[in-house]
Amino acid sequence: MGPLIPNELISFEWSSIIAIIIGMFFGFILEASGFSSSRKLAGVFYGYDFAVLKVFFTAAIVSLIGLLYMDYLGYVDMSSLYVHPTYLWGAIIGGGIMGIGFVAGGFCPGTSLSAVAIGKIDAIVNVIGIMVGIFIFSELYPLFEPIYNGYFQGNITLIDSLGVNPYWFVFILTVVAIVMFAVTDMIRKRVKKVFY
Amino acid sequence: MVNRKLVKFLSLRYKILAAILIVLAGGLVLLPKYEKHEGISPEQLLSNAISPERYITTDELADRIINQDPSLLLIDVRDENAYKKYSLPSAVNIPLKKILEDDSESYLNQDEFDVILFSNDNFHSDQAWLLCNRIDYKNLYVLKGGINKWFNTIINPKKPTENMASNAFELYSLRKAASMHFGVAYPKKVHKQPVIIKKASVAKTSTAIVPKKIIPKKKKKKMPTEGGC
Repeated sequence: MGPLIPNELISFEWSSIIAIIIGMFFGFILEASGFSSSRKLAGVFYGYDFAVLKVFFTAAIVSLIGLLYMDYLGYVDMSSLYVHPTYLWGAIIGGGIMGIGFVAGGFCPGTSLSAVAIGKIDAIVNVIGIMVGIFIFSELYPLFEPIYNGYFQGNITLIDSLGVNPYWFVFILTVVAIVMFAVTDMIRKRVKKVFY
Repeated sequence: MVNRKLVKFLSLRYKILAAILIVLAGGLVLLPKYEKHEGISPEQLLSNAISPERYITTDELADRIINQDPSLLLIDVRDENAYKKYSLPSAVNIPLKKILEDDSESYLNQDEFDVILFSNDNFHSDQAWLLCNRIDYKNLYVLKGGINKWFNTIINPKKPTENMASNAFELYSLRKAASMHFGVAYPKKVHKQPVIIKKASVAKTSTAIVPKKIIPKKKKKKMPTEGGC
């Protein structure tokens, strides 16, 4: 049956409309759960709030388990889902830069936009910084291109590159995640509370 | 007025949610595994198999070979001995048993050529077509009637009898021309010039022997009126 758009149960033209609707809900829920506060996001690095880590890890695991069940029952064909291509060193360096920006600015790109929407000045500065970064990257693109387009690994997943059974992988990942949640909770209790 | 049981239960809510996640993930590991269906869906395969769209007639094929259609790829699915004895011009031999091997994939799984499968009849080539269609190879066709039909229609066309419709004659002349292209020689019939003897009685019989000259005239086909917009 699924995925809906590649199997033409929903026509391709709807995809951007659906994306906008999902994006609105995503932004709304980010804001409503306090993710537009840079203090909450920075809390992961200082150890007083691990909500970001828990939320995104839980989302990944829930969707992973859900997709595998739907694939097993034949509702979704996993092989026709989009897998983001891997450019190894581009991803590592880019991830490092984004991590530094994350700690320094207290926003990830998505939350910064939702914070701009409610008029936070630090978020506006953050978004301007993102724009400047994009501008510098575009201007120096010929310099970065070998990294940006190099080390291409194809559209692979962790399961492909490690060659493990997907079900066991998901099970172990779930256990690891829950252990991680428990550990971060213990850390949070020891760290001095910050009220914001 | 707080429901104490509910409070006690809710204090455990994260542990319960974590347990649910682990149970669900563990369920994935414990589920009985089954062989996944490969290729196109059974319904699609069935409707493809019923459809006669895959067939190409020998006349059509001959026409395309003669016009040197560059998008044509002929594949002989008979065994090697039969292929060596006779095959269509520039055909590739992939026996039915080897049709799913890696070497043959580059011929069959592409979208540049129209692959035409043929065998003695269309029985084996249909089987080959079915196997390949199931794994979603594109542009596959089957020569209707196979090499036998090819022989009976193109190489050795049957002369239509006089009481047949005019398009049967047209078809015959087309096929005859095609067979000449594939190297069939038609020895010209040598008509003996009747000796003209100036005897009234003999002359009568001799004129009767002289075959009538037939000048082929192409009949113009009446096109059915088409609706314009």
